[in-house]
Amino acid sequence: MLGIEECLTEVMAIPGALDAILIDQTSGMAVGVGGGSRHVDVEKSAAGLSETLRATLDGLAAASPTGAVRINDMIVTTDSGHHLLRPLETIFDGPLVIYVRLDLERSNLALARHRLQSLSGQLITT
Amino acid sequence: MPTVESILSGLAEDRATGSLRLGKAGVLYLTDGRVTYAEAPSCPRVEDLLTASGRISVYAVRQARQAADEERWGGDRLIERGVLTRGELEFCVLSAVLDAVFFLFRASGVRPRFRPGERHWLGPQWYFDVTGLVRECRRRRVQLDQAWPSTELDTLPVVPLGRIPAQRVMLTSLQWEVLVGTDSTATPAELARKLGRPAYSVLLAVRQLAAAGLLRLPEPAPGPPAGEAPPDPPPEPPPALPARPPSGTLPRRAGVAQKVPERVADPSQPPDWLPQATGDPADVSLLIRLRNALEALA
Repeated sequence: MLGIEECLTEVMAIPGALDAILIDQTSGMAVGVGGGSRHVDVEKSAAGLSETLRATLDGLAAASPTGAVRINDMIVTTDSGHHLLRPLETIFDGPLVIYVRLDLERSNLALARHRLQSLSGQLITT
Repeated sequence: MPTVESILSGLAEDRATGSLRLGKAGVLYLTDGRVTYAEAPSCPRVEDLLTASGRISVYAVRQARQAADEERWGGDRLIERGVLTRGELEFCVLSAVLDAVFFLFRASGVRPRFRPGERHWLGPQWYFDVTGLVRECRRRRVQLDQAWPSTELDTLPVVPLGRIPAQRVMLTSLQWEVLVGTDSTATPAELARKLGRPAYSVLLAVRQLAAAGLLRLPEPAPGPPAGEAPPDPPPEPPPALPARPPSGTLPRRAGVAQKVPERVADPSQPPDWLPQATGDPADVSLLIRLRNALEALA
């Protein structure tokens, strides 16, 4: 069982992790930031990331044959790294999202995804 | 009269510990100058959020509450029972506090009273800086207005339209819960309690649904009192009054119900006091310049 701060510390311990943010998807607010994150403007990043997830959900829902969608995790690779987003369903509010940005050279995407999965299970049990 | 924000800032500077009671509006708890809990009657409390989800029984909450003391707070006791993780409790407290503070900061006309040393039974689970809370509330207000810039549905019963103008809609899971959960008499705050979701989240969902044109909007004329609005046909306007009241009696006050149909009798015909509408590009560009100038002034 993990608290929010410990969870972020663990996420930052994933090999190649550069930044980690925990985001409240409903309001787009940054709940916590991983220690050592070099983010200048966490609030802006959190708002942008939650918008990214929202847009992806909308787009995938429109593209899916049933019109309904549930994202387990989302991986976007850019020039500045791999971006992993993992929405966690909570029992009382909209999803909590773990975001981590990984170094392109020093990270292992499969390992990171696996670690994020197990960490989210320790943070929130559904 | 000092605002809630300014009082809180003062308490934060003094690194105060205790409760700030805002009369009927609610209460805030501080630990060493930082807010650790907040409650408002319009928002579900942590225990409401937890029990509504079925995760924890009302009995378990009562037990933790009664056993809570300085050594082991109620929140830690709940975690020890293994019914929820520390992360879940922290996020639940975070949701509930931000939710309550959003409504508490709007409270006016209250006489705040600070009781030093008073603590909440959950104990400190998450610490909020006062400046951070103020900033987040402002952000949430902007977000609400971006979704739908009107407060008219905020306190009225949520009534979904039987037939919607769109052919297909896409909903979030919370919007679905709101539509399924409403009985056409519950206001957003009542729905939040029933669903066990934060009042702000439900309010945002309601505004988004309204923006999508899925909810019935209140009548523009003086409608029935809020809370008793019937879901189906709006009340018939009273039969047309005689043009002249019988002599000897006071003239009846002209109700708005009489005036409105007159004004919108034929919307396709502009009233004669307005100039003729033209599609002249010179007129249009003048109007655009005028609008830009007015926006620059604002």
